[in-house]
Amino acid sequence: MMNLALYKREMKSSIRLLLIFAAVITLYIAMIISMYDPELVKILDHFVEAMPELMSSVGMKANAVNLLEFMVSYLYGFVLLIFPMIFCMLRGNSLVARYVEKGSMVSLIAAPIKRRTVAFTQMLVLVSGILFLGLYSTGLELICAAINFPGELEVIELFRLNGGLLCLHLFVGGICFLASCIFSDTRYSIGFGAGIPTVMYILQMLANVGGKAEKAKYFTFFTLFQPDSIIANESGAILSFVVLLIGAVVMYVLGIVVFSKKDLYI
Amino acid sequence: MSVMKVENLVRDYGDGKGVFDISFHVNHGEAFGFLGPNGAGKTTTIRHLMGFLKAKSGTCTMNGLDCWKERDQIQSELGYIPGEISFFDDMTGTGFLKFMTEYRGNRGDNCQKELLERFELNPKDKIKKMSKGMKQKLGIVAAFMHDPDILILDEPTSGLDPLMQNRFIDLIEEEKKQGKTILMSSHMFEEVERTCDRVGIIRKGKLVTVDSTAALRERHVRPYRVTLENETIAEAFSKDFGGVRDGRSVTVTAKQSLEEIFMDYYRGEKNDESGIV
Repeated sequence: MMNLALYKREMKSSIRLLLIFAAVITLYIAMIISMYDPELVKILDHFVEAMPELMSSVGMKANAVNLLEFMVSYLYGFVLLIFPMIFCMLRGNSLVARYVEKGSMVSLIAAPIKRRTVAFTQMLVLVSGILFLGLYSTGLELICAAINFPGELEVIELFRLNGGLLCLHLFVGGICFLASCIFSDTRYSIGFGAGIPTVMYILQMLANVGGKAEKAKYFTFFTLFQPDSIIANESGAILSFVVLLIGAVVMYVLGIVVFSKKDLYI
Repeated sequence: MSVMKVENLVRDYGDGKGVFDISFHVNHGEAFGFLGPNGAGKTTTIRHLMGFLKAKSGTCTMNGLDCWKERDQIQSELGYIPGEISFFDDMTGTGFLKFMTEYRGNRGDNCQKELLERFELNPKDKIKKMSKGMKQKLGIVAAFMHDPDILILDEPTSGLDPLMQNRFIDLIEEEKKQGKTILMSSHMFEEVERTCDRVGIIRKGKLVTVDSTAALRERHVRPYRVTLENETIAEAFSKDFGGVRDGRSVTVTAKQSLEEIFMDYYRGEKNDESGIV
């Protein structure tokens, strides 16, 4: 079903990009986690005990702020969303559409290899990159937390949270891959593959601002990733995982089918 | 026995572009030349044979296999030189040939070394830095190195110098002797004349004529009878011009090159067009 020679070649092309993103993520995760200060949390707790009414009016409860929630607000709204997303956009486009546009797809198609094997292999390359980034940031978070604040991090919750994040990125990857398979012109492949997730992210930002703009949340798939409800283990969170995963699988399969059936002017 | 078969192939791009009701076949062990100007539909026909495009109407088959549905089976015995060479720019030539061998499932790259020597290609450079001629040579090596039975060559000598063009023609002749079936599209009348058994001339998506190279040539042979001053001069003349001497007179034949034959077909069409206008 997959071609190992092609997979190896493409993973080699992915490595540089993956290393750059891993470095950026490392920087952010290490910095943010080291900035967390349990003393500050304890002081806040004292305040809550001293004047509970006042503190709860601004939404603060005792022990409400822990390391994981601190990470959620500083890492899971931007850094860990954006960088894997950019990886999907760049790789998604270059794995299929760019080869078709440049004509180098000829070398892959003019061989006794089924088109669906080619597309499936390229999909695996994209998914491998997404998995790598997800696993790497999880590992790094565990290490940074263990060094700075041993025993502070709720590990099970972190795994659940990152599992949800992975589903979200697989979904984004699905959009990029499908666009890459449908369009033979990189203008459109990038336009849709990168454009749709970007617009959705902007809608999500709008929705976060609140007020009337909160309605925007009904128009973006980022709503399916809610760190707070995932950590709280609400039933809706698991359903969101399933929806994202099914969506991702459908888009990958559709991409492979479209690529196998389309006319290639190469 | 025909290996390649195109029957009533139609693909209309609009504006009179595309191919319209094209039919021809290429027999086992035969070299078929596919001649036509730019945009005549040569590459479109080849893309159908390669399984890149699905026939809208009509059929393309190879050894009885459908060129679209069973393309991966066909491809295992096929070598292809694309009209526009575009490989993975980030690789070296050596890396590319190694990749292609692995990608195709390690099925023989036994001819690779010999081909590289024949075309004096050193593939160590990055493909990005290669000249057009070098890329073309790399394309030839990649198409022939797994020793395929069928060859589809889309303007295979473009970018090659005359010496290398000759070497390519030699290669085609050797392959033909081994019983390979070859479809070659070209602008180069000479290489088609020297290598192909039959020729199809395509213009504006329609096959103008299909005939054997010999028959095409014969139809356009003009004999001249020249009488010289004396037999000595006649002997020298016949030697120089390849004629047949009979006393003081020598018969020489001027063969129209395929190019001229080709131009004849065009002139006819042009007159038609001006007639309509």
